[in-house]
Parts: sequence; C-alpha cells; structure tokens
Amino acid sequence: MSERGNIKKVSELLRGRQISCEELTKSYIDEIEKSNGELNAYVKITPESALETARAVDKKIADGEELSPLEGIPMTLKDNISTDGIETTCCSKILKGYVPVYDATVWDILKKQNAVLLGKTNMDEFAMGSSCETSCFGGAKNPHNIEHVAGGSSGGVASAVGGNIAVYGLGSDTGGSIRQPASFCGIVGLKPTYGAVSRYGLIAYASSFDQIGPITTSVEDAAIVFDAISEYDERDSTSRGKNGTPSATTLKNSIKGMRIGIAKEYIDGVRDDVREAVLGASKVYESLGAEIVYFDLPVLKYSLPVYYILACAEASSNLGRYDGIRYGYKAEHYDDVNDMIKKTRSEGFGDEVKRRILLGTYVLSSGYYDAYYKKAQNLRGTIVNAFKDAFTKCDVILAPTVPMTAFKNGNAISDPVETYLTDICTVPVNICGLPAVSVPCGFNANGMPIGMQLIGNTFAEATILNAAYQYETAVPEAFKSSDFGIKL
Amino acid sequence: MVTREEILKIATLSKLFVSEDELTKLTSDMEQVIAFADTINSAEDSTTEFDNINNLSNVLREDEIVPSIDRDKILCNARDTDDGHFLVKKRA
Amino acid sequence: MKYELVAGFETHVELSTKTKIFCGCTTQFGGEPNTHCCPICIGLPGTLPKLNRQVVRYAVMAGLATNCTIPETAKMDRKNYCYPDLPKAYQISQYDMPLCVGGYVQLSNGRRIRLTRIHIEEDAGKLIHRHGDTLVDYNRGGVPLIEIVSEPDIRSIEEAREYVEKLQLIMRYIGVSDCKMQEGSMRCDVNISVREVGSDKLGTRTEIKNMNSIAFIAKAMEYEFERQVDILENGGQVVQETLRYDDVTNTTSSMRGKEDANDYRYFRDPDLVTINVSREEVEELRGLLPELPTQKAERYVNELGLSETDAALLTKYRRIAEYYEAACEGTKNPKTAANFIISQIFRRLDTESDKEDFNIKVTADALNELIKLLDDGKIRMNLAKSTLDKMLDTGKRATELISESDMGGLDDAALLALCEQAIASNGNAVNDYKNGKEKAIKSLIGFVMKNSRGKADAAAAETKIKELIG
Repeated sequence: MSERGNIKKVSELLRGRQISCEELTKSYIDEIEKSNGELNAYVKITPESALETARAVDKKIADGEELSPLEGIPMTLKDNISTDGIETTCCSKILKGYVPVYDATVWDILKKQNAVLLGKTNMDEFAMGSSCETSCFGGAKNPHNIEHVAGGSSGGVASAVGGNIAVYGLGSDTGGSIRQPASFCGIVGLKPTYGAVSRYGLIAYASSFDQIGPITTSVEDAAIVFDAISEYDERDSTSRGKNGTPSATTLKNSIKGMRIGIAKEYIDGVRDDVREAVLGASKVYESLGAEIVYFDLPVLKYSLPVYYILACAEASSNLGRYDGIRYGYKAEHYDDVNDMIKKTRSEGFGDEVKRRILLGTYVLSSGYYDAYYKKAQNLRGTIVNAFKDAFTKCDVILAPTVPMTAFKNGNAISDPVETYLTDICTVPVNICGLPAVSVPCGFNANGMPIGMQLIGNTFAEATILNAAYQYETAVPEAFKSSDFGIKL
Repeated sequence: MVTREEILKIATLSKLFVSEDELTKLTSDMEQVIAFADTINSAEDSTTEFDNINNLSNVLREDEIVPSIDRDKILCNARDTDDGHFLVKKRA
Repeated sequence: MKYELVAGFETHVELSTKTKIFCGCTTQFGGEPNTHCCPICIGLPGTLPKLNRQVVRYAVMAGLATNCTIPETAKMDRKNYCYPDLPKAYQISQYDMPLCVGGYVQLSNGRRIRLTRIHIEEDAGKLIHRHGDTLVDYNRGGVPLIEIVSEPDIRSIEEAREYVEKLQLIMRYIGVSDCKMQEGSMRCDVNISVREVGSDKLGTRTEIKNMNSIAFIAKAMEYEFERQVDILENGGQVVQETLRYDDVTNTTSSMRGKEDANDYRYFRDPDLVTINVSREEVEELRGLLPELPTQKAERYVNELGLSETDAALLTKYRRIAEYYEAACEGTKNPKTAANFIISQIFRRLDTESDKEDFNIKVTADALNELIKLLDDGKIRMNLAKSTLDKMLDTGKRATELISESDMGGLDDAALLALCEQAIASNGNAVNDYKNGKEKAIKSLIGFVMKNSRGKADAAAAETKIKELIG
C-alpha cells in the first residue's frame, strides 16, 4: 500500500537500506519540479546542496554509523528562516537577492543532523497575511484543491508538506501562521511555547509573538521535530529551551481523566461545519476517557485588536531597517539619501505590509501611545491571567483553529478587518506565549479539511501532543492525504 | 476619525511615500482598522502590569571578544559599496 | 536688563568595555571601515541583541560615583528613527526605566548640578560625506554609551566647563571611560535658555548638539547666550530648535529640515529582558569604586595638610594621585612628596595629556626612598633636589646616584673639625663677626657646607661656630 511519507517511515527505509538517501532526495526534487507549478509551494529549490547532504548520509549508512532521528529526511524551511548562502526573501520584493551570511539557530541544529533541505517555501510577505497571497511570488495553493489557498502565512510549508513534496517543514507563527495553513491543508502544525525554540535568524515580524515550529503530516513527527529544535540558545535573550521530558516519549500515554476545556467564546461565531467538527472531536475525547469542562473566557473578544495593535507596533519598528543601504532592494532613481530610503520602501513593500507598518507607527506615535499601545499591553496582561486561570480548570483547551475552511484563491477578503477576523481563534495563544497544536478533525462538504487546536499551558507541549496523538490514533481518516506528491 | 493629514504624518515617520490615490484608500482602510482597534477601549482599565512575555530577567553576556566577520561578508549584500564602505550615491 | 544663562547637559560617554553592547565585536577606536562588524551590529534581518554584563556594571558604577540611586528594575527600549548610520532604524536605549536616577555633581563654588538620570544605549555608525555621496562605516555602531542627563542647573560658562571636567575626571577615575573628547568618546549636547536675573521661570531653550571639546562648548554657549539675549532685547522670541555649532565661524545654525518632526515612538525592546540590579551587586560595585577625586582632595587638605591648590593638582588624574600616595607612604611630611611632584616632576610634563599619562622614569617607590633619605637626615634638601633631577633623566635610583660616603650625614666630630677649619682659615670673617657684623657668619657656614659637600646641617653648623667663636 502506498502512503504519504513521514519521518519515522522514511527513516526506517533509509536505515533498512531499502532506498538510498540520494534516490529519495532525487525523487522529492523530481516531484517538486512536477508539482510546484501547480502548488507554488517552493520559491527556491536547492537540489545541489540537498543531494550533497544526501550522499553524506548514504556514506554514514554505508559505514554503519548511528543516524539521528532527522538525519537524511527531506524537508523545507519557510523563507523567513535565515540560511547561510541561500537566498532568504520573506517573499518580499524588498529582500529579493538577499543571501544571509549566517544560519538561523534552528537551521544550524538541523544542518548538524544532516537534514536534507529541499528548498525555501512560500509565505505571506514578512509573514503578514492569512492566505499566502501577499507573497511577491503569488500564493501557495492548497493541495486538497488548488482552487483554494494554502493559508498563511506559512502557506508554502503547509502546501509542500500537505502536497507530499517535503516530509516536514519549519514555519513561524506570530498570530496563527503555522496552525492556520496546517488546518487549511489538513495536516499538523505546532506553535511552541514562546522561548522554547530560538528565534535567532528568524526574520522578525513581531518579536514578542514570533515562534518557529514544525508543520508535519503526523503528530508524532511534530513531536520528533519539536524535540530536536527546542534547545536553549544563548544568542536569543528570550530563549528558554527544553522544559521537561521529550514530547515524543509520552504520546502513547492514556488521556483518561485529562480535563479538556471548551470556552464558549471560541465556538461562537465560527462556521457551522467547523463548530460541528470540533464538537465532534470533543465527543471522541470523551470516549477516550477525557473529561470535558466548559467555561467562559470573555477577554477573548479583545485578543484580536490587542494582537493587531501590538504586533503591528513591533513590526513597524522591526521593518524600519529595510532602507536599501546594506542589503535587499534599492530604488533605482532618487534625489538624495532620504528620497532613496522612502522610494526603496515604497517600491519594495507590498500593500498589506505598508498598512501594518502605518498602523504600528500610528499606535506608537505621540498622542496615541497611551490609548492604543499602552492600553493593549495592559490588556495583554489581563488575557495572560485569564488563561492562567483557565488552566486551573483544565489541562488542555480545545478550540477551532480557524473559523472557516480554506478560502478560494483571490477571495482573501479585500476588507482588511474581515481578513484579520480569520485569526480570531489563533492569536490568543501568541498573546500569551502558550503552545498549541492544530490537527485535522474532518472535512467539510466540499472536501476541504477542518482543523482544531489543542492549547496547553506554558511548556505543556508534551500534554497537547499526547492529546493530539490519541485523537489521531482514534480518527485516522481525518488525516487523509491529498493526492499530490510522493507516496512510499 | 483618521485624517489624511495624520496618514501623511505617519507615512513620513514610516519613511513611505503615499500617492494621492493611495491616500484615499489608505485613509479609509486605516479608519476601519483604527475603529477596530478602538474596541479595546470598552475594556475596563487593567491594572495588570505586563512585563516581558516570558518574565525573564538578567540575560546577559560576558564581555568577551568574538572575532568580527570578513568585511566581504558584511558588504556582500549591499547594492553599492566603495572603499570598504556602504555607499549611497548623491542621486541616481 | 540683565540676563542669566540657564543650561543643562546631555553627555554621552563611551564605556571602555572590550566588546560592543549587544555583540562580541571589539570597541577599539578606528580600524579599517566595517571591519569591527558582525551580522548583529549591522542589523542583518533575524539577528538578536544580547546585553553585555560589563555595560550594566560600568553604568551602575558611573551612577554610584555621581550620587545616583540605582532602581531595582530597569529595561531596554527602542528609540525609533531612520538614519543611514543607524542600521536597525532604531537605537536600543532606555526610556522610562533607566539604570541610574537622581544624582548630582558638586562644583567648587558649592553648587550642585543635579543629574536626572544615567542610561545605557548603543552608539551609531559613522557617515562620511564625499562629493555629495554618503559612505557608511559601522565600526562604531553598537559601541556602548552612557548618557548622563543633568537638570538645567548650570548658570555660567565657568560652571559648564567645571561640570564637564568633573564628569570627565570622575569617569576616568572609576575607569569606565577614557573620555577622550577628540576621539568622540565623550560628547555633549547642551540645552540653553536665558532669563532675566531674578526670574525663576525657564525661557525657551535651544539644544546645541554633539560638541566634542570643552573650548568649543564654552564658545558655543557664549555665542548662543548672546544670540538669545539679542533676540529677547529686540522683542523677539527664541525658537525651540536643535542647533549645530560651527567652530570655524563660531556660530550656531539650525540642524533639521521640516520633514523630520521627530517622534521617537519609544517602546520596550521585545528582544531584551528586564534588568534587575540586586542590592548585593550594587554594594559590590560600590566597593569597587576608588576614592573619588573630590574626596581625595578633601582628605589631602584635612589630613595631610596640603593646600587646596596642591590637593587639586594632585587629584586631577588618578595616576598622579596614586603615585603621590605611594611616594608619601611612611614619610615624615606629606608636603615633601607633593612639592617634589608639583615643582620638579610637573616641570617635565608639558601638556595635560602628558600629566594624565604620567609617564616618568622615577617610580613612586624610588621617590619614596629618596624622601626617606631626606627624612633620616642622610642627605640634605639641595642634594635631594639635584638627585631627583638625575633620577628623572636616567631612571636610576637615589642609592645608585649618591655615594655611600655622601650619605650617612656628618657626625659631630666631623662637624666640629670642619667648623674649626672654617674659623682657622677665615680670620677676616671671624673678626667681622666679632665686630658685630652678624652676616659674616654666613661665609663661615658656607665654608662648612661646601667642604662637607652639602651633607652638613646648616643650622647645626651655625650653632657650633657661634659656640667656638664664643
């Protein structure tokens, strides 16, 4: 029977010498060349370095050396993760041609384990968007139906992994950018606790929200990758690294007696098919012996404006450095230095990025700081406390990942506020720095995947992945693969 | 109310040009977005002091030299350089 | 109408750490352009800052040395403005929770210049303008600075000069900065306003930016004071603006165009965490502070009996004070070492920077030895003085330059013999003295001194001769 690849399976094939890493890598590269025209998942392919790594892995296997869990596994990185010598653009015109001279910490870790990087994947420009369509390369498509978007901002990783042209990938999640596309593409996306994974080398959107995490086809893969990349990094002052036992070791634990919380505010206002699927999952959990507890989280209604105010404020500052002088795009015609900087930025940034820079500048500017930035910062504290309180009542919170399924291409609503509303279920986790995993929980009438998220307390990755794994085991059909890509 | 003048002011601070056409669209977009942001004003004033997101303190490095990197690498992504410097020509 | 000057200072001081504030690159001055750089200090996308512990410690020491309070909690903020010398388009600085608050600097006229705060921040790179092109060098970008902000307590140019010199002195003493104004490691922004004498209202102020010489500060302040008085006397109003001082024309001119109405949009830097300075660490750092120049000078006057002028001269540079104290150690009169240093040694040090370096061939220990020979009566003052000159020339010790026989003084028998010889061979002088010419005895004493090669004690010789003549 041919099935989609996952880390464990590919690893077994390599170790059992049923396929060489070079052959495996070649087949992925061929498949990318075949499918990427439709999916637009990759914005840069790196076949030479991938094959070189693959041959190194084959040599290790031939020499009978021990392999680490991610050794030789073909994978991808979102195009905002810095890779030494490989163009990294954030899918923005302003960074076209930019080649980092250092590796992001996560890539440094994976490179040492001989991860086979197939290429860099598509995203919303500077991770600002929910459809991947703000990318300067055009959006990535949904492998379940290419008429639909892959989601965003890590749409390229989700499209590649969901389309089986990468075994796994790393994305980044600032307001839902790992979970939302994972949900849209019917796969697994883990947003770790803030500080669990180093941000060094991740091109910043909103520093106090950004977090790197895995997008995979299975819960176990998410656990394996998370365990590998969650390391204390002295280069990131906000890094905290590992906390507790590896999450992959407790997946099979029974969840009998686990308290799974449902907050009314998460369920209200989401589309019917999504609500039904999530409530259906709660029934599955009950049948697995978990206890479902219901409560209110009224402060959730402020989370979206709080997120947009604070994230845009940070973004307006983080994106100030793109001035054409040291790297990236530089305007061709200008009158003086100031004019060059303004033209570079005006020509180099897309509309959504500009809109967020302007909003961020506005909420920080004198006269508005107290009413917006400061107020939002205080509310952030209130929301943090509300979640702390919720976790005295339950171990895991179950919620929809997105209030809807993947929209059709070009329909990512032109109204900015309505677009922002798609993030309503995902942003609270980033506001509080909590871990959450999105897992598929069914398909709607049009065959588009629906996702649910399991939210944990700080550093409770093992708990949420345990709950997710139990669901996956109970309802494997929710994880059904798209027709694209490599089957093994 | 967000005025066109305000948009122009923050555009200047943000080092962005806004054309007349864009200004109309941006003003209305921003108007909407700010109205949306305003919804937080219905929240009670919170006394919760928010520190940094993971409540860490005193993450410091020792004062030890790490060799700088080759200048070629420092300059390699710049469009224009001159004599070891980043260069912005008078006009182009 | 009579006007008075009201001025406050914002003084930037580069700290003498080995590495930059947020990365491991060297802080060394100069260097080929862009060779003291890394992905962090040129602001490559994705890089993150990490705060240098020594920067925090030096800043706290600077605060303690200027009587500041050290709050338990401080944080880092971003000051957003876009300029080619600032690679991230924000400067990491401290806004509302600085490391040090509320200190003062005491002036010699008894007035205290209050300090609002001292905070840490990163320096910007350097722009070079060549035929209208702009060249950028980021070597200086990320070098740690403290900004010392004073209240508008300065009332005269003399006070301004003393304030800056005092800060310079203190920072050098405690070893946190070399404060070399010509290399830009100390720079001042001055806020100036004028008001009628007797008024307690503050006038509209202007700010003169980035001055790196005390002479220029004085000249610029003088010019600006007169300019503002002129405006007011002609019924005009001073415009609040930022000015640049041109040392060639000795004038000030406005710095910014209309475009850049500044709004720095300060907010907490999310890439950095809270700084807690424990009370234990504050005490540890207080313990590391040397005795400060003002305290030293007071002690020299009160305990060692030096004049205020001498005390000030000896405490101006830490090296000299340390040298003086070591040279004094165990000697009978603290003034002796002071006189040697101020008269003989300073004569060989022409410039202030020579004095600061205090590069001389005589170690404090060697001077101490010389003074002890004097104290023990083994040599006399004129021999000591000429010996010190030889020591300064050659770097040899006194014991190498003065022969054994010259030392050890003159015993009573030898003195007696010399005095008798003097009387015997100077009959005329003896007679003159006997006839009431008191002064005649001088030539007899001179004979003794000369023939003892300076070893005799003139007073003892006089007594002995008088005895002998009867």
